[in-house]
Amino acid sequence: MKITTKLGLLFAGMITVFVLLGVTLLAQMKLVSDGYDAVLASPVRDIDAARVVQVNFKKEVQEWKDTLLRGHNPADLAKYGKQFREEEASVRAGAVALSQSVEDEEAHKLLVQFIAADDVMSAKYARAYDVYVAGNADFKAADKLVRGQDRAPTDLFDKVVQRLDARVKSTVAAQQVLVQRNQTLALGISGGLLFLLGGLGFLTVRSIVRRLAVLRAVSGRLANADVEGLSIDISGKDEIGEFGESMKGVHAAIEELLHVAQVSSQAA
Amino acid sequence: MAAKLTEFYAQAAKQYGVMGRMKLAMLTKISSEKAGTEADSPDNIRLFEQAMLQLKQAA
Repeated sequence: MKITTKLGLLFAGMITVFVLLGVTLLAQMKLVSDGYDAVLASPVRDIDAARVVQVNFKKEVQEWKDTLLRGHNPADLAKYGKQFREEEASVRAGAVALSQSVEDEEAHKLLVQFIAADDVMSAKYARAYDVYVAGNADFKAADKLVRGQDRAPTDLFDKVVQRLDARVKSTVAAQQVLVQRNQTLALGISGGLLFLLGGLGFLTVRSIVRRLAVLRAVSGRLANADVEGLSIDISGKDEIGEFGESMKGVHAAIEELLHVAQVSSQAA
Repeated sequence: MAAKLTEFYAQAAKQYGVMGRMKLAMLTKISSEKAGTEADSPDNIRLFEQAMLQLKQAA
């Protein structure tokens, strides 16, 4: 193979490897981006929604306590009663929406249990509210009816949050493992390709340099007409091989000239 | 002994002189001394015939 062809192929190989590396890198980036998009699309969205419901539930209980504490004033009773009902509706809507969208089965079961417990709690709060109003702000009687009733839903929702939080962590960890594995794979493939191409380049250049050194030595001896015992052994079908073949012709011509000169001097 | 190849050299010397011998050596890559030891193989004879033809065309 001609040296120009070899060098051309080497150059084309380098270009191909770098293009492949670029494409691999882009594919890798897309994979990582898609993976994190998937994490953000479901587990992170779920835990965010769950934390909103959790906070609203605590606000709902707080509004109930404000109602009992300040409800002796009709204006405050109306204000805190309204806010309590708003938070109650918000908690229910949030929990129902989350139960419909959440992908984790265990979290879904816990949410269904929470909604049922919240229903029971809401009914008791409604009855306690009626008792409170009928008893002229008798907070003791009202509190007696609902005391500790928020514990079960609170615990259930804490479990939902814990479950979803664990899911986010495990999904992110799985994504990190996937990214690490793909990085190792990409590095291995690109390193292997570069090593292979580098090795081929090194062997090609070494072969060219070695044969050029032989050619230079032959050329030096021919320049000095030192053809005694000279053997031109430069194989190959490339430019150096062709040059070596030309050198053989020059060698033979010099030998012939020396022979003619020798014969002429002997005859004289 | 390559009588045929040696004969080519004699013919080149006769027709084209020393320059002819040199050119024949250059074209065949075989000097007259070596031609004496090379075999009269069909390949060698063809090589010398082609070289002689080139010499004739160049003359």
